[in-house]
Amino acid sequence: MIVIKPLLVVCFVGLLIWAFRNRARVGMRAGIRLVAALLTGFAVAAIVDPGLTQSLANAVGVTRGTDLLLYALVVVFAFTTMAGYFRYRELDNRLAEIARSQAIHEAVRMEGMPGVSPRD
Amino acid sequence: MVVPTPIYARCSVPGPKLEVQSGVSPLASLPDLLNRDVWVIVRCFNEATVAGAVIQELTRSFPNVVGVDDGSTDGSSEVIREAGARVVRHAINLGAGAALQTGLQFALLDPAAQYFVCFDADGQHRVSDAIGMVERMRNEDLDILIGSRFLGSAAGMPRTRRSVLRAARVFERLSSGVSLSDAHNGLRVFTRRFASQLSFSMRDMAYASELLRFIRQSGLRYGEHPVTVDYTVYSLAKGQRSVNSINIAMDVWMQRIFGRRPS
Repeated sequence: MIVIKPLLVVCFVGLLIWAFRNRARVGMRAGIRLVAALLTGFAVAAIVDPGLTQSLANAVGVTRGTDLLLYALVVVFAFTTMAGYFRYRELDNRLAEIARSQAIHEAVRMEGMPGVSPRD
Repeated sequence: MVVPTPIYARCSVPGPKLEVQSGVSPLASLPDLLNRDVWVIVRCFNEATVAGAVIQELTRSFPNVVGVDDGSTDGSSEVIREAGARVVRHAINLGAGAALQTGLQFALLDPAAQYFVCFDADGQHRVSDAIGMVERMRNEDLDILIGSRFLGSAAGMPRTRRSVLRAARVFERLSSGVSLSDAHNGLRVFTRRFASQLSFSMRDMAYASELLRFIRQSGLRYGEHPVTVDYTVYSLAKGQRSVNSINIAMDVWMQRIFGRRPS
C-alpha cells in the first residue's frame, strides 16, 4: 500500500507532462474530450446511485467514496489549470503578434522604411 | 594595378567615373565610420522624462536609432521623435521581450543593417560602451556580445540585486547551458545573422533567459564585454523588483518542461 502511493504520484505527474507536451495533437484533444464525456457519465451515474462511488473506492483500495471523488477532482483541476495556462499564453502571443505587425506597419506608413531617413 | 569599380559602374548604367588612387575604395569604409550599418533599439515604457536625453546622446554616434514605445501613456513617442529617432508604437503594453522583438523586426527591414544594439532607455548604460562593443564586433568573429557589469562596474548596485543576479546566473547555466556573468544586462549587440533568428515568446523580462536558449541553439559565437551600469535613483525605482525573478524562473521552466509553441 505504501509503495503504490509514490508510483501513482509519479504516474500522474508523468501523464500530465506527456499530455501537455503533446497538446497540439488532434488525437490528444479527442482523448481529453472522451475522458471528459466518461467523467460526466460517471457523475450522472453517481447521482443516481450514491453507493457507486463507495463500491468503486473499495475496488481500488481507497477507504471512502468521497476520498476517491476528491482525488479525481484534484486530477481534473490540475489538468484544467494547465490547459488554461497554455491557452492564455497562446492567446497572449497572438495578441503580441498582431500589435507588433500593426506597430511596424504604422511606423513604415508614417515615415517610410527604416534606413531611408528623411534627412538624406 | 586593379582599381575596384564603383557599384554604379558595375551595373550597366552610365555614371560618372570615380577616381580611386589606392587599392581600397574610400567609400567602402564609410558605413563603418558613420555606423550606418548599425541600428540601436531603445525600449520605452513610460520613460518620457529620461528617454529623450538618452536617445539624443545615442544619435550623435549612431544615425539609426529606433525607439519602441511599448504602449506608454506619458507621450514617450513624441519625446523619441523629437530626440531624432524613429518611433514604433505598440497600441498596448506588451512587455520588454515583445518590445525588443518589435525593434529588431523593424530594424531588420533595413537591408543595410548589420549590427543591432539593444540599449535601455533609463540612462543606466553608457553610449561609449555601445560604441566599444560595436567596434569589437567589427574586429572579432562574434555574433553576440553581451555587456557585463560584473566584468565592468556597477556603481550603487544594491546588495539584494547583486545576489539575485548571482542566483540567476546559476539558474541560467543549469537551464540553458550558456554561461554568462551578466545575462540580464540590457546592453547587447547582435549581428544580422543572429538577430534574424530571434523570435521571443516570453514577452516580459523572462526573455533574457530565453535569449540564452537562442544563443545555445544557434551555435553562434558569443562574448562578453565589460560595461558600466549607472544605478540612478530613477533606474532603481523603474527597474524590476527582485521578487520578479521567481516569476521568471517559473515561466522559463514551464516552457522547458512543456515545450515552446503550443500551436
